[in-house]
Amino acid sequence: MKPIPTEDDLIRQLLHGEACESVFADLSKKASENPGLASRLANELGFSELLRQALGSTDTDPVTEFEAALEGRSLPIEELLHRVHEGSVNRHECDQVVKALWSDPEAARNLRRSLVEDEWLRQAVSESKGETAFIESLETRMWAETRQDHFVEDFALRLEREIPAEVPGSEEDKIIPFPGGWGFSLFKLGAAAAAIALGAFLAAELAAGRLASSGVAGSIVNSTSDAVWTSGASPRQDGTLRPGIYELKSGVVSLKLNGGGELSVEGPARFEVGEDASAEVHAGIALARLPEGENRSEARRQATKLKSRGLSVSEPARLIGIDAREEQATEAVVFNGDGGICLGASGKCRDLSEFEAVKVDHLRDRLVDVPYNPRAFSKAWELLAGVEDKLGPVRVELPGSVISAAGGVAGEVQVFVENDTFETAGTMEVDRVVAGEFAVAGENPGESLETRGPMRSYLLQLTPSGAGESSDEVETSLTFAHPVVGVIFSSDRLENSDATVGTNVVSIEGDSLRRGLESGEDEILLSEDRRTLNLRFRGGEGKAEQVRVLVALN
Amino acid sequence: MTSEDREHFIEQVRTYHAGLRGFVRSLGVDPLWVDDVAQEAFIVAYNRLDEFERGRDFGAWLRGIARNLVINERRKDARRKRILSDNLTDVLLSSSSASDHEPEEMGDDALARLNALKECVRGLPEKSLRLLKCRYEEEQSAQDIAEEFAMNPPAVRKALERLRTSLRECMEQRIRLTPAHG
Repeated sequence: MKPIPTEDDLIRQLLHGEACESVFADLSKKASENPGLASRLANELGFSELLRQALGSTDTDPVTEFEAALEGRSLPIEELLHRVHEGSVNRHECDQVVKALWSDPEAARNLRRSLVEDEWLRQAVSESKGETAFIESLETRMWAETRQDHFVEDFALRLEREIPAEVPGSEEDKIIPFPGGWGFSLFKLGAAAAAIALGAFLAAELAAGRLASSGVAGSIVNSTSDAVWTSGASPRQDGTLRPGIYELKSGVVSLKLNGGGELSVEGPARFEVGEDASAEVHAGIALARLPEGENRSEARRQATKLKSRGLSVSEPARLIGIDAREEQATEAVVFNGDGGICLGASGKCRDLSEFEAVKVDHLRDRLVDVPYNPRAFSKAWELLAGVEDKLGPVRVELPGSVISAAGGVAGEVQVFVENDTFETAGTMEVDRVVAGEFAVAGENPGESLETRGPMRSYLLQLTPSGAGESSDEVETSLTFAHPVVGVIFSSDRLENSDATVGTNVVSIEGDSLRRGLESGEDEILLSEDRRTLNLRFRGGEGKAEQVRVLVALN
Repeated sequence: MTSEDREHFIEQVRTYHAGLRGFVRSLGVDPLWVDDVAQEAFIVAYNRLDEFERGRDFGAWLRGIARNLVINERRKDARRKRILSDNLTDVLLSSSSASDHEPEEMGDDALARLNALKECVRGLPEKSLRLLKCRYEEEQSAQDIAEEFAMNPPAVRKALERLRTSLRECMEQRIRLTPAHG
């Protein structure tokens, strides 16, 4: 037989959030009969509330917290556990989970086990969470945090080997180029940070007069069909962007700023465009491509001054991404070229090479190396890559993806941007494709393409879905932002043009692979406006097939 | 510290990182910060390598360091914490072993298990792999995945749960088949 709970027991249960209906009823009855108990109860509850307020974070919006609490309370435990796995659980939801786990140690062990599995799945499916990425990131951090250890010596030796001795140059040269030694690098980054602080000050000064200005700072170049802007924070109807704040609810847009920089933004996002061709990403995903030029650093600096929540791009790389989706952390990723990132005006800066990423927490007092994970930028990249539309099983591969002649996912067409801007002297030999006419890809007489101005090169690769000759037919259609001026689908011409476009196809060892469409069964149709390429892959003999597409950028 | 010690340390990183990251996550650390905490544990271990007695269980020593780092997270200002919730971490810490001897899936067999899991992932059908990547590589929520796959969120969760179960079984089977577990 259960002992009858005392008044103390009942109050304890109430204060620990373990009271059931019968406890409430008991307490209510006893308190109505005993003013002393009622007073004690009121005091205890009042004190609980005080404690909550004292412990609560001062910068949390109470309405949001309340809503979260309501939502959390109504959710089943499975849903709450799912949120723990996702990392999206809030404090109140956590408390609900904790209540369930305290009374069930086995459930707590199971949760730990499943969290381990989660972590392993991340490591198993994501290259950026692999051993190499982890160890490289650890090495860099070891250098940053342990200064005196052998990593410093190792890095210094490596840099001495890989980077030629610096030649004295102008004042600017001393600030910007890739470091010749770590100590010197820190000095230079400090100087760069000071320059950024000054830039930020000037930008703020410009912003003060922003409303009076009617100057156009840039314009929308392209957008996906699902792009929706917030009313009152959208570009003008003609697509021009004035200095100010913009809010993209959904979809992806690409825009060009006056300085020549291109920015692709994925909603939900909030960003600000400055009169000085600067862009500040307050939330969301953004990918910036900055122009090539003889004096690249200077050209890029002029093109776009990029910032995001206390993080400034001090040395603009050719292609750099900002992931500001999470309130707690902002990531910067360099996809192409060498870059540098600074923490606002704090002087804390980092050089970033290709495929390196750093994260800054929302306190903005620390830069932490994180593994390179480009997936978040997939949609923004598609638009920036110049692929306006695609039909069929097509995937636009992210920068840094390896082009392997072994192929990719079966039944899928991969699109690689081999070289996003290049120029060649003279002519290139391409296959003959007449716009508006259906053509069977096979033996082709070819023709010379007279190259004028900058071009971009794409490599399309189909991996057949079946082995041998039983491959399924695959149909796909790609619409490019720029006109197609050349198509190459013969193996020899593909090989011959590799060096010109600067690509590096990883071939299969010992395999004399014919990469092109030689079977005579595949079909190609280039639309009359030369923007859309339709492909029907029928042959393949069980191997990956490639087509190179050249577009004119001007 | 001798160069031999350093070489040994690098080997230890390679051997133990997978298990350590799993262990850190299992204590309720925010998935975004798991690698950060695990790396910090390695750095602490590296700086205190002179204190480590050869022959002792290096994995258990590392887990002890990581455990203390996570305990310290609870004392931090709320905005600096790398854990999801103090209370959740409390309850998860209480279910972990104080001597840092963990069940095999969180302990020193982790690398073998991870490799087995990778093999299992390679054998998944394309759609399942995509689903898995959306969740564990792109860190999308069930809601986002549901939109992409034209499913509803509960169905996504169910599908992910089924995937996890089949991958767990596959991993266990592969582990049993390896000679060391003969």
